[in-house]
Amino acid sequence: MGGEFNARVKPGATPRIVLSYPDVYEIGVSNPALQILYARLNDTTPAWAERAYCPWPDLADRMRDSVVRLWTLESFAPVRACDLWGFTLPHELCYTNVLEMLDLAGVPLRAVERAGEDPVVLGGGPAVANPWPLAPFFDAFFVGEAEEHLDAVVDALGRDGRAARLRALAAVPGVWVPGRSDRPAVRQVFTGFSTSDPVLQPIVPVLEAVHDRAVVEVMRGCTAGCRFCQAGMWYRPVRERPVERVVAAAGRLLHETGCDEVSLLSLSSCDYGGVAEAVARIRELRPGLRVSLPSLRIDSAAEKLGLFAAGQRGSLTLAPEAGTQDLRDAINKGIDEAQFDEAVRAALAGGFTGLKLYFMIGLPGETDDDVRGIARMADHATRIAREVGRGRARVTVSVSSYVPKPHTPFELEQFAGEQTLRRRQRLLREATPRGVRVAFHDVGVSLVEATLARGGPGSDRLVEEAWRRGARFDGWSEHFDVRRWQAAAAATGMALGEAGGEPPAWRDAVDARLDARFLADERDRGRAGRLTEDCRDGACGACGVCAGEVGMDLLA
Amino acid sequence: MSWWLLLFARRGPARYLSHLDTSRVVQRTFARAGVPIALTQGMRPKPRLSLPLPLPVGAEGGNELAVVEVTEAAAATVATLRDLCAAAPPGFEPLRIVDAGERRPRPQAREATYGCVLDGDAGRILAAVERYNETREAVRERVSPKGTRTLDLKEYVGRVTATAEDGGARLEFTIRHRSDGAARPQELIDLVAEWAQVEAVMRGLVRLRIAWKDVPPDVIAGGGRS
Repeated sequence: MGGEFNARVKPGATPRIVLSYPDVYEIGVSNPALQILYARLNDTTPAWAERAYCPWPDLADRMRDSVVRLWTLESFAPVRACDLWGFTLPHELCYTNVLEMLDLAGVPLRAVERAGEDPVVLGGGPAVANPWPLAPFFDAFFVGEAEEHLDAVVDALGRDGRAARLRALAAVPGVWVPGRSDRPAVRQVFTGFSTSDPVLQPIVPVLEAVHDRAVVEVMRGCTAGCRFCQAGMWYRPVRERPVERVVAAAGRLLHETGCDEVSLLSLSSCDYGGVAEAVARIRELRPGLRVSLPSLRIDSAAEKLGLFAAGQRGSLTLAPEAGTQDLRDAINKGIDEAQFDEAVRAALAGGFTGLKLYFMIGLPGETDDDVRGIARMADHATRIAREVGRGRARVTVSVSSYVPKPHTPFELEQFAGEQTLRRRQRLLREATPRGVRVAFHDVGVSLVEATLARGGPGSDRLVEEAWRRGARFDGWSEHFDVRRWQAAAAATGMALGEAGGEPPAWRDAVDARLDARFLADERDRGRAGRLTEDCRDGACGACGVCAGEVGMDLLA
Repeated sequence: MSWWLLLFARRGPARYLSHLDTSRVVQRTFARAGVPIALTQGMRPKPRLSLPLPLPVGAEGGNELAVVEVTEAAAATVATLRDLCAAAPPGFEPLRIVDAGERRPRPQAREATYGCVLDGDAGRILAAVERYNETREAVRERVSPKGTRTLDLKEYVGRVTATAEDGGARLEFTIRHRSDGAARPQELIDLVAEWAQVEAVMRGLVRLRIAWKDVPPDVIAGGGRS
């Protein structure tokens, strides 16, 4: 590891920053957020940003045996010697890995134990929507998109001493310092997104990473308004990059990465206003070039899939999310059966040989019939596959358990609970037609997610106790063991799956710019099964995000 | 389409690359330089490239060889080599390219010379090396998932030289490549360490020279940049 194409080496540069994604290198190296921060910090500020990832347990054991501290991939220096250690926190299941990395680096776990030369530990990323489960382990959190505030963060690190640095950091917009900030941090929005380039010189790993393609972020934010979706609320408003900039970036990235595939990244790439033109023009850059769209919504995909699917091989994931029209309306995923039918036909006729359907169970208001509806949709897709896919296409169904997330209309809804989820998994397994493979998300994992996603002050004790009992890499099925978490919950007097309540503690730390009335109204509309239209081309939903300089930035 | 021989060095951070990763780096470097490597036909196309003598993970090498088939009418010129150098990651250094024509070259190593430092008491290590040089037979077992094989290191590794150095001894040895394979540097180090009664901790393994069969002399000559 290390020594990659486009890795930045700036010997002697200060301050020294280490960026981490709390998972193994192969997963973390492709993370778009880390690529953005790494490129911007190194290329536009005097700082030297290096990287460190979480060692796999066998390496961690050897490091402890040999007293080798976690090191950076650029200078091979101990992480502990840096000025700032920034973690991007993608989800709750990486929390124990944060503790593991702090421990391997020899950095005191809790902020109050740090002193003198210890680095300032800063958290960011979507999981910061509720920082409480990790609050005591971090010196500060950055809430939102950091692009426009990196200079201020670097300036803060120029102060003498930890206390002065933390004081300066606390004054940076979007920064929340546990125990010091007297008001919630306002989520920062990168208003220069549309007029800036995506990362043009990304790190290209020399090992085999999970994603091996040139990535162009074409759009940020999504206003489809799915009521369960935290990303859809968190990354508002929608901002689009001009096609010209996207195509130019793709050309440069092909050269910089040596890849033969370009991925147009966003939360819903089919909604990108210039998608058809961008795909056509990027394909002209080089014969045989593949263009992929990693995230498709069925309602927009149905009309456009034919365009992208032509000549494609491999599999495609479509996410109806719920099995009946009523429930899809309740979650504001207003696709109907005709759209589903059309999308499946377009995908299979275009050449995809595998179709994965993604659903959730445990959604608010869900009935047994909604669960049986998943089986009916899988059956329908299988029939189309036989008809259109000429018997070559396979349909698989992936079912996860819904976990209510902060800053969404369902943030105060009850988690379905272990028994209900297990019973519905059984129900669906029995109802699914033969020949359709169904994969279920581990209920134990969902229990932990549900506990931490809305965990309040004090939930950090659960994280630390679980880590001390050996929990790490909880996102990996071969490492996750719910018994460690059950034991940790018993030891800390907490119950897995039970969290939340009113008033929600996360609002004390984070102001996501979302109007509380909007969230409450959306919850009520969901219960009534009423749809809310996409404000991109419909009426404003009054979510509260667009104000002042912050607003939608769409292609004309 | 034509086959090229690429002489390269793998040093610094690149020394930790595995054999497969080194192949990937060669492919990616060519792609970044605008000289794509041809792919095999079929459902899962693979690059048409080979590294005839894998370099152990952790070892540096200054005269390594790759064989690649390039797809376009690119010329194996100094300008192309310059592009490859600019496109390469830190520690991976293209040194020379030679157009070998339309027939695939199949270079085979005859022998390779290695240097390294073995940590421990220098006197004991030097005595163990002397014992190795004087012995007629040094049979070792090689255990792999395929089973256990015995091999006599003396059939593969001739004379070993050793000089005392801070904290240990610097060793240099040449491994012969025969039709039945070759010994591994670690196997010799394990033996010397065992006889010297020191821990088999090797530092700075470098492949110093490789003698090839069927490689045009202008590829290897000098070992510098073309």
